[in-house]
Amino acid sequence: MPDSPTELRVRIGGEAGFGIKAAGQMLARSFVDAGLETFDLTEYPSLIRGGHNNYLLRVSTEPVYSHVEPVDALICLNRETLDLHHHELVDGGAVIFDPEDFGAADVPARLRAVPVPLTEIARGAGGKIMRNTVALGALLGIVGFPLSYLGDSLHKQFAKKAPEIAEGNVTAAQAGCDAAMAACPDFIVQLAPIKGAPRRILVDGNEALGMGALAAGIGFYAAYPMTPASSILHFMAAHEREYGVVVKHTEDEIAAMNMVVGAAFGGTRAMTASAGGGFALMVEAFGMAGASESAVVVCVLTRPGPATGLATWTEQSDLRYVIHAAQGEFPRVVLAPGDREDAFDLTWRAFNLADQLQTPVVILGDSYLSDNRQSTPAYDLSEVTIDRGKLVTEGEVPAEALGTDGRYLRYKVTEDGVSVRALPGVKGANQLGNSYEHDEYGFGSEGEPAETRIAQNEKRMRKMELAEKLVPPPAYFGAPPESAEIGLLFFGTTKGPVREAARMLEREGVKAALMQVVTVFPFPAEEVAAFLGSVPKTLIVEGNFTGQLEGLVRQECLLAVEHSLHRYDGRPFTPEEIVRKVKEVL
Amino acid sequence: MPTAKELESILKPTWCPGCGNFGMFRALKEAIEELAIPAEELAMVWGIGCHGNGADFYNVQGFHGLHGRALPVATGIALTRPDLKVIVEMGDGDGYGIGGNHFIHSVRRNIDMTAIYHNNQIYGLTTGQASPTSDQFMRTPSTPGGVVEEPVNPVGVAVAQGATFVARAFAGDIPHLKEIYKRAILHEGFSVVDVYQPCVTWNKMNTFSWFRDRVYKIEELPDYDPTDRTKAFDLSMSTFHELTCAPDECKIPIGVFFEEPDSFTYQDGLPQLDRPMYKHAEKPRDISATLELYGA
Repeated sequence: MPDSPTELRVRIGGEAGFGIKAAGQMLARSFVDAGLETFDLTEYPSLIRGGHNNYLLRVSTEPVYSHVEPVDALICLNRETLDLHHHELVDGGAVIFDPEDFGAADVPARLRAVPVPLTEIARGAGGKIMRNTVALGALLGIVGFPLSYLGDSLHKQFAKKAPEIAEGNVTAAQAGCDAAMAACPDFIVQLAPIKGAPRRILVDGNEALGMGALAAGIGFYAAYPMTPASSILHFMAAHEREYGVVVKHTEDEIAAMNMVVGAAFGGTRAMTASAGGGFALMVEAFGMAGASESAVVVCVLTRPGPATGLATWTEQSDLRYVIHAAQGEFPRVVLAPGDREDAFDLTWRAFNLADQLQTPVVILGDSYLSDNRQSTPAYDLSEVTIDRGKLVTEGEVPAEALGTDGRYLRYKVTEDGVSVRALPGVKGANQLGNSYEHDEYGFGSEGEPAETRIAQNEKRMRKMELAEKLVPPPAYFGAPPESAEIGLLFFGTTKGPVREAARMLEREGVKAALMQVVTVFPFPAEEVAAFLGSVPKTLIVEGNFTGQLEGLVRQECLLAVEHSLHRYDGRPFTPEEIVRKVKEVL
Repeated sequence: MPTAKELESILKPTWCPGCGNFGMFRALKEAIEELAIPAEELAMVWGIGCHGNGADFYNVQGFHGLHGRALPVATGIALTRPDLKVIVEMGDGDGYGIGGNHFIHSVRRNIDMTAIYHNNQIYGLTTGQASPTSDQFMRTPSTPGGVVEEPVNPVGVAVAQGATFVARAFAGDIPHLKEIYKRAILHEGFSVVDVYQPCVTWNKMNTFSWFRDRVYKIEELPDYDPTDRTKAFDLSMSTFHELTCAPDECKIPIGVFFEEPDSFTYQDGLPQLDRPMYKHAEKPRDISATLELYGA
């Protein structure tokens, strides 16, 4: 059994608008720069200012897959943080607080009170706004971690704007560190930098999706802001001139999806993203992408629904929705990244699949993917490939795509269902992309005869057979199924907590085999059935009420999964609750 | 460069005999021929409606989109393919009703493309319901008691929203319509052409003869300055709104209401749009500079 790694779990809490997330991310950056691994979780209400915000950071000497339940140190930027979170602390856990907010006597006796005059130090260093930095210094002080990494981050952050602000912050952090070390010289967790550790990037899911799209050669991104997808728009817009991408904040999601189809008609790699609510507005044009055989990529990032739902929280309740979205039947692919490595990898692959299949590809994520940062091995750009399928961008339309009268047949019926896609601008490429059913040329009025409808419908649906050969296979983790006591099946971001749970179980001598359904549509029925048949007990873990993945298993595999664990309170699974469920089942 | 004849597809138009769409079809084909636009440099987009059936009748690089959504599809083309001239055809229900939001925002973006509205003041394809431009009190199957609301004033909305080219035309005057099309296509910026196109089947009020009795040409107005936005707006308000008005009571101006020749187009604001954007996907993009910002 492997030894437990050294870990620090710290929660920072305060009022919204205090800059808690920014402070937390700077702390994470400092640890990652020092060779440690991190995973963070930001929880915030849908408010600009006011309400309780908190940021949870897990730091480890080993790779981490998710957040966990216990907390070692709690940074209280207000009294409410203590009341809401003290019960999460382990015995001997530290409460870093400002004596102006409450007294040491308010801290439960099983915990370690670490009073640090946050406000007073901040004022002395340049202003109350530096309170967060004082608190970060205090935390680094009690865990014995050098301040230099935080100093570097501060200098980087303020290098352009105001170097003197960086200096003030460094002074503030040092004073916080000194005060905390004096108050708590013997804290239970001590962390040190790891020399020579492999470089990690610190990205959230949306940045990973954005980088995947950029690497794939995206030329057009259109979107309407909606949590949790908005930061993809910011990311793409920030890089539009550097990389040559037209980024459009549209009047609504209807426009975004239609523009993306227009860009794809011109041959440009194009993407849009939204939450489920925004995708609802896109659905008609999403179907048009299917009918017109347009190569587009759509990110649907789930937050709890229905309707406006819980804007800033997470769920996995859009699986069935994206698989079935739009009237009629057409081929599509739905990929569900589980973490920030998957998000990059599946996004550039999504563009290839869209081009190879000439049909929409959905990347199904959620707030847990989008909002939270994870230390991730730097993406290997040499792995990225571009396959544009049967695309013709210049010269003349190839003879194989011409009809007997010499006209280009954009929707020519082929064995694999994919037709030559000669772009506008290619000589002889007059064509009619069409949302109506159509004939091989694209004429809507000629699409009405039954035999034409059947030929075009079957041609399109044949692309699902090709899709099955091209899509990423399921991923397996944990113990080999043959030796496992239980098999866990899941999709999307449940991957993190499930992998973490399997590691915890392994330390206790329990072997669990894990299967991540990476491509949720077309559904990998054979692989899932084989997996379920190879383990003595089965448990499905998914973040929704109705068991959407479980329903797919029943439908596609004609198999029942014995046990299931659901969560639909807007919060992601914790590994501990999965461990508890596994023990209950065994 | 295609002739008007070569711009016709192998399919013959199926519009009702006498439909105003025939005049628009002929005027646009002739305008494109006279402007000598190469086939490879032209893209057309249609919405859904009787006008949209025209998608089958043009021999061009085209896309027949959804009801009300032609403009965003065309925008996606225009903002990624600077080598293409984009012409969009829409109907009144299509472009001013269900697609009204895109109309307003396309106008204010001033994207360099041409938007043509087939305005027959009725829903033809769905058999005769009131449209956003139907005259007030008009009786239709969906408004048996008469349309209650005021019609949309497309010219006024476009002018007020900052459009850089706004014209109205009449499908019964093909030479005049053709000249307006040519000016609209040549205009650098978003050009709006609202065309009264009588529906001979469903609209028994606003007929060809009804229009002939009322239209007059703006260019015949003494001292009219089409670069004066306020005057253009005032003129747009002179449009008839009375169903039963006598010809001498309601005169309908046709021609170019407003034109701003050297406007700042949306494309002017996109220095990165220096080539067809599909060219960015010829090989994987090197994003190592960005990865470095994240710690690589």
